[in-house]
Order: sequence, then structure tokens, then C-alpha cells
Amino acid sequence: MSDGLSLTAYDLWKTYGNEAVVQGISFTLAPGEIVGLLGPNGAGKTTTVGMLFGTVIPTRGFVQFGPWQLPGQGQMARAQMGIVTQEDNLDPDFTVFKNLTHFAHHYRITGAAARQRAGELLALVNLEHRADAQVDDLSGGMKRRLVLARALLNEPRIVFLDEPTTGLDPDARQDFWRLVQHLKAKGCGILLTTHYMDEAQRLCDRLLLLQAGKVIDEGTPTDLVARVIGREVAEVEGVDPDRLKTLAANYGAWYRAFGSGHLVTLPSDKAEAVWSQIEAHHPSRLLRRPANLEDVFLRLTGSVLE
Amino acid sequence: MKLITATPWGVYSVWWRHFQVYCSTWLVNCLPPISEPIVYLLAFGYGLTPLIGDVEYLGQMVPYSRFLAPGMIAIGVLFQSFFEGAYSSFIRLNFQKTWQALLTAPLSYTDVFLGDWFWAATKGAIAGTLTGLVAVVVNLYDLSSLVLSLPLIGLGSLLFGAFGLLVAGAVNKVDQVNVPIFLVIIPMFTLCGTYFPRDTLPPLLARFASFLPLASLVDLLRWPLGLPSWWPLLLLWLIGWTAVMARLAALRIYPRLFS
Repeated sequence: MSDGLSLTAYDLWKTYGNEAVVQGISFTLAPGEIVGLLGPNGAGKTTTVGMLFGTVIPTRGFVQFGPWQLPGQGQMARAQMGIVTQEDNLDPDFTVFKNLTHFAHHYRITGAAARQRAGELLALVNLEHRADAQVDDLSGGMKRRLVLARALLNEPRIVFLDEPTTGLDPDARQDFWRLVQHLKAKGCGILLTTHYMDEAQRLCDRLLLLQAGKVIDEGTPTDLVARVIGREVAEVEGVDPDRLKTLAANYGAWYRAFGSGHLVTLPSDKAEAVWSQIEAHHPSRLLRRPANLEDVFLRLTGSVLE
Repeated sequence: MKLITATPWGVYSVWWRHFQVYCSTWLVNCLPPISEPIVYLLAFGYGLTPLIGDVEYLGQMVPYSRFLAPGMIAIGVLFQSFFEGAYSSFIRLNFQKTWQALLTAPLSYTDVFLGDWFWAATKGAIAGTLTGLVAVVVNLYDLSSLVLSLPLIGLGSLLFGAFGLLVAGAVNKVDQVNVPIFLVIIPMFTLCGTYFPRDTLPPLLARFASFLPLASLVDLLRWPLGLPSWWPLLLLWLIGWTAVMARLAALRIYPRLFS
């Protein structure tokens, strides 16, 4: 995985009937970089990924991956790609080990070479002790790790991870994240779609925030949070909303109703002043916490990530 | 649909995947194509031959059991290739998502389609050949005739495998596969000259039955007993059906994988 290839999406559009589900997405993914597509369900993340590896035909635009242009040269491009789709499509007719050796055959890796590669990958994803198990007997986390192992058979230059940890418990997610970081360290470019803000914040070097098929903002997680929200946020309950609105307006802070309470940003230069003003209203619940991507998304789109 | 070039390795690799699944339970898989013709040949051959004796076929009298054997070969081809194409491909397409997984590898749609199609045809050919071997063992079909009939068995398997794939691409629920079974497969299976000469049917029904592709396959497989003078047309008819079915099947399945 040392010789990296860049992937560039040029003005990708996808329209179904009159509905444009992806609208003019452009970006570049460099070797060794993790780029995240962060957005709620229905934002166009999976459609975008489909266009990147060739199963969704763009209405407009194209993808350049190394010397190959997609969708036309998808078959050749996929020889250098690893793809973890959202749905588990492991082969229930084979054991864990044979899922890998049989899939390796499609890459012309056969016989002893296939068995060796399958063994290495099972060790990498900590499934060597389940080599003879049937796929249906694996837990959700194990299945996701096996799909990742399958995507790495060809030592890909770039890996697509489409909602790879959806439905996994915290331990399984941590295991998966460790594998992703291992791939990045090996120089593999990774495109990750997720609606988990902690996943995006923890893993991604750069984020594209998607809403209704459009990129509404992009940057590193830290920059996005700092630029859009600031350093800290107060979660407030039990205070008259009009008073909070006025307070926020006076200090140039951002205010929004959220759940049963309210969010108020604490601008870096006036954080203590805003905080003491809020405290003076004797809220029933008050929490001061670092700003995060969820706040960014809420501010930019008016909706939460689900 | 955009024409994408297939690679021999890609097609073989998909076919090989299906073959590996088949091999993992080969004994169970071989049982139906061997046991079914034995049961039918015993039941109809021994049961009906004394009642029927000889039947008239192309102006000559032939023993009923020898008339029946090529029909059984054709039925083996029909059922195994159609059901693999229809049911198994539907499951791989809609439940197991095998097609979708294969398309994350460096395989084109054409590779995956041809691999599936050729596998359906392989199953039909295995069934037809095993049925033929049973017929050879009980002296109802000559071994040399069976060897010479292998290309016909292959062609018939491609045709009905493609029809199965067309059904897999056309239906939305697995139960809907029953519709073409009752509307097409069962009428073909019973009316196309498999169990009795089509001449005994009312003229209109006989003409309809002759139009169905299984009739051409059965007539051609019955070549050791004689061939109608227009047999090259029967062959062309089968090839034409195969090409049309394969094209339609590819067009129906493509939108299920690519949007």
C-alpha cells in the first residue's frame, strides 16, 4: 500500500426523476488521508460512494482515480480499491476463511497465495480463531471486520467505508476504528461515510458536511468546530427562551432551542461573561462542554445528525 | 445499458464461485438429476410401455420407452437450468446480495451476468447428461448418441438458464417465480412432445406446443429415432430464443444493480 493514488470527484450529480440526490460534489482524497462524508440519513452519502466506485452512474461529472476514469473504467479501478458497503453481503455459503479465499480468486489470487493472504487478514482483524465458523454465526462486529478483511485482499490503494460501524456496540466500534487507523498508517486513502459525529471527529483528517446532496461546509474537524461554533457550548434548561435569546444576541453568541433545553455558544473572548449571565438566571440544569460536530451540524442545517 | 467487456477470468471466477458452492454439497446436488429420471423412466417406461406398446413418431413405430428417454433428458435440462437461473439467481441477487458483493471486486456486470448464466447452464447440462447416462444404462439411448447430443444439451441449458435469469430479473418477490412456472414451464413440460407425440394433440394446441422452445429441443434430442426435414430451422429457433432471452435477462437485471 505504499504507492498511493489520489481520487478526485469532479462535480458529481445524481438525479432520479426530478429529484437531485447529489448536487455538484467535488473533492480530492489523497493517499494516507481519511476523508469523511458526514451527514444525516438521506443526505446522499451512499449514492456518492456508489459513484466513486462505479455502481451508481453519475448524471453529470466523473471520478478520476489514478489513471482510471469512472464510471467507464470502474472494473480496472476496482482492482486497486477496497469497498466495504453498508449492507453485509458476505457469502453465507462459505466459512469465514473460505469467504476470503474464494473472493481472492476474483483478484487472481489463488491456491497457497490466497490461503496465506486470508490467514494474514484474519489475524489483522482478530478473527483467526473463527476461521472455520459459518458467517451466520458471527456477531455484527465480526461480520463488519470480515467485510473489511475481504476489502483488503488486493492490498488496495484506497478504501471506501460506507457506514462501517452502524449498529455496532462501543467495543466493536473501537476495534474497527483501530483497523482504520492501521490502514491510514500504511498509506491507504480512506473515504468514510458516517452519521456518528464521534467517529468522524476521531478518525477523519478532513470532513465534508452533506445535506440534501450538497456539501454545505468542509474542513478539518477541529477547524470546522472552531470556525462555526467556537470552543465551548452551554446546555441550559429551565430558563425563559426570550431571556436567553436576548443574552446571546447581546454577546454575539449563537442560541438555539434543543430538546427540552437550549444551546448557547460561549464566544472565546466573552465565555466567562456569558456563562455567569446564564448562571444568574438559575437554570434547572446547566452544562458547560466543548463544542463538537453535532453543534456544527445543528448550526449549519438546523437539524441533528440521525 | 452500456456494453462492458467481459474478461475470461472474470466470467470463470464467478462461475467457479457457484461451482464451489455446488461442490460443498455435491452429493445432495447430484441426487435429483439422477433419482428423478430413474423414477420417471421406471414409472412411465415400465408402467406405460405395456399399455402403449409402440408409438408412431415421424411415420415409424418406436418403443414407447425409447421415445420417452430423450424427453426425460430435455426435462432434466429444462428444470435444472431454469430453477438455478430463476430461484437461485433471485436469491443471490435479492437476499444474499452476492451480485452486489461481486461487483465490489474488479468484475464487470457482464462478467457477473455471464458467470451466473453459464452456471445455470452447467447445472442444466449436468442434469441432462446424468439423465442421459441413466437412459444409456437401461439401454434406451446409445452412449455415442448421448455424446453427440451434448452440444444440444448445452444449448438447451443456455436457453432455459437465460429464461430463468430473465424471470429472476423481472419478479420482485420470490413467490412470483411461480407465475412463469405455471404459465410457461408446466405447459412446456407436458405438451412439447416429452411424454407423447404432439400429433395426438388437437391441431391448434399441437401448433402452440411446437412453437415453444422445449419442443424443438426434444425433437432434436430425439435424432437417433429420426429428424424432421426442417431440423436446421429447429436449431436456429433454439439459438434465436437463447439470444433473445439472454439479452432480455441482462437488460432486466442491470437496473437492479446500477442506478
